[in-house]
Formats: sequence, C-alpha cells, structure tokens
Amino acid sequence: MNALARLDSHLKSRLEDLSKAKEHGHKIIGYAAGGFLPEELVLACGAIPLCFIQAGDNAVLRNSAAYVCRWFDPFWRSQVGYLTSGKDPYYNIVDLIVVPITDNHVRAFSNAVGFYTPEMRSFVFGVPHVKDKVALEYYRKGIGRLRKELEDFTGAEITGSRLKQSIELCNRERELFRNISLMRKRRNVNVSGRDFVALHHGSFLADKEIMIDILEQFIKEADDDDPLFSGNAPRILFTGSTLARGDSKVMDILSDNGGIIVMEEFAEGIRPYRNMVQVEGDLIARLAEAYFMDRICPGWFRPGTERLDFLIELAEEYRASGVIWYQLLYRESYKVESYFFPGILRKRAGIPMLVLESEYDAMETGPMKTRIETFMETIRG
Amino acid sequence: MGSYYDGLFSLCGFEHEEIEKERPRIEASFEKLGIGPGDMEAACSRVSRYHDVSLEGVRKLLGAWLKELIDLVLAREDGRKIVYFGFPAILGPGLMLCASSEHVFVSAPDMVLDHTMGQIFNKLGPILEAGEANGLPPGHALCSLWQAKIGGIAKGMIPVPDLALASSYYCDMGSKADDLVTALYGVPIAYIDGIMDSEWGEYPGYLPERVHYLGAQINKAMEKAEKVLGIKIAPDAWQRSRKNSQPFRDNLARLTEVMKADPVPVGLAELELLEALSGSSTGRGIQEGIKAMNILIHELEGRVEAGLGIMEKGAPRIMVRLGHTSDPAVTRLYEDAGLAVPLTYILASRGGVAVKPRGNYGTPGEIIAEYEMTGGYYHGTEAQIRLYEKAAELMKLDGFVAQYLYNCRPVATISHIQKKYLEEKTGLPVLSLEIDNFDSRAYSADSLRTKVETFAEMLRAKKGR
Repeated sequence: MNALARLDSHLKSRLEDLSKAKEHGHKIIGYAAGGFLPEELVLACGAIPLCFIQAGDNAVLRNSAAYVCRWFDPFWRSQVGYLTSGKDPYYNIVDLIVVPITDNHVRAFSNAVGFYTPEMRSFVFGVPHVKDKVALEYYRKGIGRLRKELEDFTGAEITGSRLKQSIELCNRERELFRNISLMRKRRNVNVSGRDFVALHHGSFLADKEIMIDILEQFIKEADDDDPLFSGNAPRILFTGSTLARGDSKVMDILSDNGGIIVMEEFAEGIRPYRNMVQVEGDLIARLAEAYFMDRICPGWFRPGTERLDFLIELAEEYRASGVIWYQLLYRESYKVESYFFPGILRKRAGIPMLVLESEYDAMETGPMKTRIETFMETIRG
Repeated sequence: MGSYYDGLFSLCGFEHEEIEKERPRIEASFEKLGIGPGDMEAACSRVSRYHDVSLEGVRKLLGAWLKELIDLVLAREDGRKIVYFGFPAILGPGLMLCASSEHVFVSAPDMVLDHTMGQIFNKLGPILEAGEANGLPPGHALCSLWQAKIGGIAKGMIPVPDLALASSYYCDMGSKADDLVTALYGVPIAYIDGIMDSEWGEYPGYLPERVHYLGAQINKAMEKAEKVLGIKIAPDAWQRSRKNSQPFRDNLARLTEVMKADPVPVGLAELELLEALSGSSTGRGIQEGIKAMNILIHELEGRVEAGLGIMEKGAPRIMVRLGHTSDPAVTRLYEDAGLAVPLTYILASRGGVAVKPRGNYGTPGEIIAEYEMTGGYYHGTEAQIRLYEKAAELMKLDGFVAQYLYNCRPVATISHIQKKYLEEKTGLPVLSLEIDNFDSRAYSADSLRTKVETFAEMLRAKKGR
C-alpha cells in the first residue's frame, strides 16, 4: 500500500480509533485552524490534537446562516455550520475546543462556540497582529495559559521532559514536510501539489507517529518514482488565506490544465513547517518564538510586507512562472493586498498573478476554469 | 460682501463675522472639494429638511463639522503635520498629539467627509466611487468609510497624511487599508495593536496583559509619531488632553439624562451629529462641538421642562447602534415610523455608562488602554451587547433595532447573537437590521423602510395592550 493509500485507510478508521482512545481516558482537543496552537502542548499531556480543517460544502454554509451573517469568510462560516449542525463528526468527538483568535473572522467563530454551545468547554487566546517583543510576550502568556488549561483539564502535568519529547516528535513531522516540499525545487517534479496538500490535511487529523511513518514512506516512494511533471509544465506558486480539506477546486482545474503547484503558502490549511522549535531552555518561550515570531506571518498581520517579501523569495527559489492568489470572499486582509501586490510581484520577480475568489459555490467552477486556462496560456506564452 | 454660500453657513450656525473671517478658507476648500453656487439650494434644503435647525445648538453642531472640513482640506496649506486615524478609534493617542503641538492636525477624515460632503451636500457618491477604483472595489463588503478616505485622497480633496494611526485593536480592514495607503502614497503607519480575545462570559473582567499589551502598543505608536512628526509629546499630554475633551464627555452624560424624558426632546439625526464628532475630531471640531452642545443641552432642557418633544408622548422607545453618518434620510427612518430613539450605542458607550478603571497603571498608554477595556467597546462582542442590555432599564426601552453593519466585521460579529441574547435577557423585541451606516447606495432608506415600519407597528400594538 502506498503512503497516500495508507493515510486514507488510517483516516477511515480514525474516528473509531479516537472513540477507543476516549474510552481509555485520553482527552481529544479540537482546535481552530491557523497554525498558532502548538500541538506539542496537547501531546505532552497525553491528549490528542485535532484541527478543524474541513470546508468547501456549500450546504454547510447555508446551515451557518442561522447563527452568523453572510459577510464572513466562508471557511469560518463553515466552522460555525459544522459546530452547530454536527455534520463534521470531528466536532462531535472533541472534549475541549481551543480557539487561537487571529482576526475578526476567527472571532465570529469563537463567539459562536461561546454563545451557541455553552455546554462545550472552550478556551481562547489571542494572537497579536504585529511582531515585536511585547507581542511575543503576549503570545507566550497565551500559550502559557493554554498549558495550564490543558493540565487542569487532563489532570496530567506537562513536564519539561514530556514537552521536549513532543517537540522532537513535531519537529520530525515538520522536517519531513520540509523535505517533501524541497523536492519540488527540482526541474522535473515528482510530488504533486494535491498530494502534498492531502498530506497536510491528513496530518491535522492523524495520529502523529503514524503520520510521521507515512511521510517517511511518501519520501521514499517519491524518490523512487519517475517525475510526474516535465520540466516544461508551468510552475505555480499557490497562495491565499485558507485551503480547506474539501476545497480542491482550484488545484483540480490547475492540474487538468497541465500546471504544477511547486509551493503553497496558506495561513490556514497548510501546517507551518519551515521552522523547527529549539529544545533548549524555557520550552514555552521556544514554542512562542517558533509559532509566532519565526513563522512567516499571515495576511492579517500589520504590515503584511514580511509575507509579501517571502512570496517573492519563494517565487524565485522555486522558479515559479506565475502566482495564483486564492482568497475566500470577505477576507478583507487578503482582498486589499491582492490589489497592490501584483505590481510589486511583476516588478521584483517578473511574473504575473491571477486572483481567484471563492465562496464554496459550485457555480464558480466554470468562470474559474476559464480564468485559469487563460492564465496558463499567458504563462506558456 | 456676501457670497453664494453665506445662506448655508448662516443656516449652519456661523455668525456674520465668522463667515467674513473664514471666507478665504471657505473658498479655498470649496475649490478643492468641487463645491459651487449650484450646490447651495440643495444643501440648504437638505439641512432644513433633515435637521432640527430651529435649535441653535444643532446649527452650531453643523457649523462645527464644516469648520472641521475646512481645517482638514487646508491642513497642508496651513503648514500642519497631518495624522489620520480610523473610526471608531481610541481617541486618546490623537488627543495627546494635538495637546503636544498646535502644528499637528489629527482627524478621522472619512467621518468628516461623510458628515459634510454626505449629510450636507449629498456629494459623497463620486468620492466612494474613487475609493472603489483605488483598491477597495464594490461587492466584497469592504468598509465604506475607507472607500471615502481613499477616494477623498485620490480625488485630491483631502491631503495625503504624514502619518496614519492604525486601529489594529479593532478592525482588520482598517489596518490593512492603511497598508494600502502606504503602498499607494508611501505614508508611514503607527500601528496600535490589540486583540479582542475575550472568552464569552468574561466581561466585565479582563486579563491584565490585555491592558499591558494595548498600552505598550499605544506608547510605541506615540514614540513613532514623535519621530515622524518631529514633535515631543509632553509628559502631561494625556492629562491635558483629557481636560480639554472632558466637557464633551460630560455633555454626553448630561444629554443621556435629558434623553430619558418622554417625549424625547430631540431626534436621532442630531444625536448622531454630536456623538460622531466626539469620535472623529481632536481639534477645532471638538472645541466648537463643546460650545454647541452647551447651547443644545440648555435648549433641550427647556423643551423637557415644557413637556415638548419631537414625538408624541408614549411613542415606543428603541435603542439603535448609531445614526447614518452620510445620509440623514436613513437616520430619520425610525422617527418617521413613529419610534422614539432616546439612546444609541455610541452615546451609551461614550457618555452613558460610568467608566471606573480598577488598576493602577503608570504609562499614558496603559491608562488609556484600561479606560477602553473597562468601557467595553474594544473588549469584545459580549461587552458590546451587554451595553444594550443595561440601557433597557435605564432608558425605559420598548425594543431594540439591533443594526449590524454588513461591511464592518467587528460589528457584524454581533449580527445574530445580539438578537437572541437581548430577547432572552430583556424580554423586549429586537429587530436585527443589516445596514451600511456610512453609504446608503445599497442600503437606502426605502430599502429599509418596510422592516422598520412593520417593527414599529408591532411595538405600538404591544404597547397598546
């Protein structure tokens, strides 16, 4: 069985496995997407982390309309829909919901958790929007409070040695993702964007050790396999706010048109994997540095220049021939940047950018197809 | 010698001598704004129709907005360093800058354009369109205040600022649109960051680190402002600025008392004029506003004493979030439907509920941050909704029109929750009304009328039983 088939098989039985784990006293900690919750803390108290990453189903958006108005990012409205409808079984199995609050879209979800599901234990902490020493300290205090909450909730102390072990485990996972990603720098690429994204999405739900095993197997198979794409395929840097599990429309159309995603940069839906967490000294401080300070900021940080500069670096490093900027409707931070970034990109990297927008509506597929086809033709020259 | 605009300025509370003194500045600013003789009849008619100009205080308030507009448009020619902030905003930093140098002009230009180019001249449309054409397109629920600000700059009506104070503690759109101003015009930004990460049920409590963080961000922004503007913020700037603006806050509290009367002595359009001024201006507008309010409150006390009001006694009393900043036809909608509006959320948050900071903080930033955290506006969704709940008893309300601004994410978060919460906690009916409070092109008075009238009928029937 190849690595991706193994992942599928593992996820098929995952809910059953989680139920059994609960029976054995393990707590399941669900958390909101965005990459600001250090899973290490959850693992270090013997609990199981699960990230809510499912979206893309328009019917769930309709469910959310009874709880929140339409003018929020459809990914976060979907989370409200899943939370209140029970249509995502992962929401039904968790014992505690943790929401790291980044912007107002996440806050709308956090309000829904607090107001509509008071019976569900929840915990929130804030993520500052600027990077400086005071902001780092604020984030550090937030995850410090989370540590205490997890200890109180699970009854297990997060000792230094257990935390170190968890960090090493998560570092291994990050390292493997980084190695897979680096393979795509080659001229003849042997990892598809869809597979890489599927691994990420799987990793938000899978058992950590099994996931690491799957990633190792994937690397071995990819090394052994023939290249999937020839050197002439348009190389696309794929970026945006959120890439949910269940939202593959753009990737499918791109692939059908012979394009290859050589790099993804998303705030939600792709695990931050470029930086390792150091394992010396105050480990909570090391987690804060890696998860907040060292991480390339999402679009809602102010200013957004760190991320925009990074996109240009990525475009050059991975020899991208174009950027597809995929934003979800009403996520204003990305919408505003999408106005002025194409000019900067063209000037500094000499490549074009296509802006696509979605509200998880099937009707978008036709126009999106036309636009992507045209963009690919433009790139091919 | 008089000019074509004298009639309008008289209607807006200017004395003859004031017009004479201001004349060159009026003409210079009107030229930039594209206002001419052809605009006067409509402006006079609009002001008379939608505002209670029988009250001298109201006329003076309109005048205060016009003075703020003139100062804004001519700030560069006046040789002043210009600082823009977004609305709503923590006003303390702007007030401190003003208290530190008379050469600094600090304003929320979008609100000034809304209240003058919108409310008085009905010429906001092209400004909004210019904003849409310069990075903030329609159809994406982007903030129309920001469209006005970018549009005003793009059309050369208002100057490019020297510094932007970004309200990163409330609104994602505002800070990101400040990034747009930097990308388009190279304006430096001082971000004042904060995080509304309240747990549901936490208010009125808050974590001390929120005060420390927001306070440190304010202090950092002030340091940046000193560098960019080349000024020194005096150690007592915070105390002096509080002293200068305290009469405005005191007046808002006095006004809340006056508005407890039945019938209510003044309409929402007038409340909107003054409560918005307190959140938009740090200079002449606010000082003129204080004088206007003194006159207005005295007039209103006279009305209350005589048992006079703008609605009939016993009219259903509702609370709304705020009046429309650019289109008084929308603001008038509630009273046209027979509803009295004794209180708005803005009035309640600025003048209606006593603020009692609990801690002992040393820096101006932390002192300001603690005021804001206690007041609730920047605390979180629950704090905002609970202010409505408190008002029900205070103002003897019969219901709420819980407006939520579709293109303002921090306000839209309350969309459905506030209706359910308030109905459960107060037992009063709540109309949840989706609106754009800054641009009435899509959410016009006519489009909202049916909902408000039906709600009013229901309240009357309920009260009659």
